[in-house]
Amino acid sequence: MTDTAPQAAAAGAFAAPLASIASAAGSAASAASAASATPETEVLVRDLTVCFRTDRGEELPAVAHADLTLQAGLITGLVGESGSGKSTLALTLLGAVPSPGRITSGSVQLTGIGDVTRLKGAALRQVRGGKVGYVFQASQNSLNPLKTVGKQLLDLGRAHDVEYLPGLVRRARELCELMGMDGKRVLDSYQHELSGGMRQRVGIVFALVLNARVLVLDEPTTALDMLSQAAVLKIIGQVHKEIGLTTLIVTHDMGVVSELADRLAVMYGGRIVEDGPAEQLLRRPSHPYTRALINATARVTGDISRARALPGRPPDLASIPRQGCVFRQRCAFVMDQCATEEPPLDAWGGDIDNAGGSGRRRACHATPEAVIGA
Amino acid sequence: MRTLTRLLPKLAVGLVMIWAVATFTFFLVHALPGSPGDAAYENYILSGMSPEQAQAKVSSIYGFTSHDPLLVQYRGYLWRLLHGDLGQSISYSGVPVTHVLRAAAPWTIFPALAGLVIAFLVGTSFGAVAAVKRSSRWGGLLSMSGSFFAGIPVFVLALVLAFLFHTEWNLLPYGDTSDVTLTPGFNGPYVVSVVQHAILPVATYALLGYGAWLLTMKSSVISVLGDDFILAAELRGLRPRTRMRYVSRNAILPMFTVFALSIGYLLGGSVLVENVFDYPGLGNVLFQAIGARDYPLMSGAFLLITVAIVLANIVADLLYTVIDPRVRR
Ligand SMILES: Nc1ncnc2c1ncn2[C@@H]1O[C@H](COP(=O)(O)OP(=O)(O)OP(=O)(O)O)[C@@H](O)[C@H]1O
Ligand code: SF4
Ligand SMILES: [Mg+2]
Repeated sequence: MTDTAPQAAAAGAFAAPLASIASAAGSAASAASAASATPETEVLVRDLTVCFRTDRGEELPAVAHADLTLQAGLITGLVGESGSGKSTLALTLLGAVPSPGRITSGSVQLTGIGDVTRLKGAALRQVRGGKVGYVFQASQNSLNPLKTVGKQLLDLGRAHDVEYLPGLVRRARELCELMGMDGKRVLDSYQHELSGGMRQRVGIVFALVLNARVLVLDEPTTALDMLSQAAVLKIIGQVHKEIGLTTLIVTHDMGVVSELADRLAVMYGGRIVEDGPAEQLLRRPSHPYTRALINATARVTGDISRARALPGRPPDLASIPRQGCVFRQRCAFVMDQCATEEPPLDAWGGDIDNAGGSGRRRACHATPEAVIGA
Repeated sequence: MRTLTRLLPKLAVGLVMIWAVATFTFFLVHALPGSPGDAAYENYILSGMSPEQAQAKVSSIYGFTSHDPLLVQYRGYLWRLLHGDLGQSISYSGVPVTHVLRAAAPWTIFPALAGLVIAFLVGTSFGAVAAVKRSSRWGGLLSMSGSFFAGIPVFVLALVLAFLFHTEWNLLPYGDTSDVTLTPGFNGPYVVSVVQHAILPVATYALLGYGAWLLTMKSSVISVLGDDFILAAELRGLRPRTRMRYVSRNAILPMFTVFALSIGYLLGGSVLVENVFDYPGLGNVLFQAIGARDYPLMSGAFLLITVAIVLANIVADLLYTVIDPRVRR
């Protein structure tokens, strides 16, 4: 664990509150700027399948043959309705599967580490928090209610063999200030003494304090009121840029990621059905589900009267179609082929005006033109 | 300061509870037709005493003058109670109730506390193991042992222990607090004998509490294990040892309410336990007082038990305050 806090101390804690953060992130930041020329990958999810055993003893996939690439230095949004498998997929970046689930195929490659799904014991613990910082879906309650934030920070440091704990505390305080909180006060507080928005930010501090390169935020705004939502989103964007992170934001709310994300991946029924650059995807969705999802979000369409709710309900594990396209029961473009053949997630040249190298993919039997033009 | 403002209402409730029990026992003894005081008074008259003598005798035993109006009697009773005067025992012919209770109390308090501590330590540890290993065979066996001892009636447990360890295997003595041929004091043989005689009652108290502690701790640990912050701790890469510490500290919190309850349960159980083992503690005193219709002694024992429960509640509350910052503030 590299600890750069002594440098920050030399620079003067308040004169340059971000000194240690900036220097710690130096390499990552330069990697990010290099990324614009030749995109480097930070996370590579390949053919990942995660199954849960149901009461009836069947093993059903919550995530099926998912391919996802997180490019270094970018914010990727993972979007889909509740139950689409977003959290399950995101957790595998930590090599974690909620019991009683298990990974039945595929791998999750982290640059410089290898396949996290094969790690165990201490090596796995070091990745969790050390390399990948995770802000939990329920991060309102992600702290031990009986210990102060500071004491839990020390527990975190010890678990990751941080040699110079005062340095860790200093860095935590700096991160707090970066997010507009009084660092000392926060570290002396118990969870119940913090507001919802503050807890969310403390969750981000814990995810980043060990210099993780990858930040995963699972529904970072769901439990917050509109004002705190906006504040937290702004902070996420700032921190991402300032530290030069690779960020994955998981959300069911298109509006949350529409402004923040560089790339989007859309999930339905455990499948990634479309991904690509955020702007293109939002403006000209090429998959019927993406299209419906965007139309259902007033904040993206900018017009409440035009927002149309998605017909039907999102499926759960048992009701996801076993054959053909998973979206076909709710799809406006459905055709005969959709009932029998599952559409593969294929690279697609992209939009007419952005032809070539757009990195867009879609899984649908209907032609992109038909969906975009409709 | 916060602790004090939190504790004061508890204290007030406790005092009200004690007063209520005192009042209840008073009216039980006095307001009912054919009260023991009247019966004794009539007996003294019949045996040829003058009304004044009989009156004096009754009042010295029962702690009130039975021909005054009820309210006056009640006031006098409370007044004496405030001064620690519980009247005189009938069955111990005129010995002050406080003396009887003071002699008996240690033989209940120490074995019951020892049993409580053992039950707490073993029960909560095993409960935590039973929760963590709930899908394994060992976890299942531990849970079953908890249900078994939680469900078995006190006197059955005491009788079985007495039968096995005394009658059948002749490993432990029982009856009284020590071998009566030894001289009480701080000498080796006597102390050994006291300890040996205490083992069966203590074991009964311990087994009595064990099941309840195990089962409540198990469910508490299971619920904490499902809490978000434990998953968060795991996904932040905290050490398993640290995580287990988080779990146990959070899971032990609800146990303090059980602690207060179990004091009452143990004191109630002491009536049966001490009866089986012929052990001269409070439970035995109460049992005999009921048999002899010794009302002053009875109400004294009830009061003492009430005070103990009130105290246990306050102690539990203090412990809770120390460990839970949400309450402490
Ligand atoms: N521990 C578990 N046991 C059984 N099934 C599970 C478990 N965790 C998730 N699932 C199932 O897997 C599917 C995907 O769940 P997941 O939590 O990944 O969805 P999500 O997209 O994150 O949804 P949400 O927006 O509700 O968080 C759901 O159908 C869910 O019922
Ligand atoms: S494959 Fe068929 S059912 Fe599925 S989204 Fe495309 S058109 Fe709709
Ligand atoms: Mg989720």
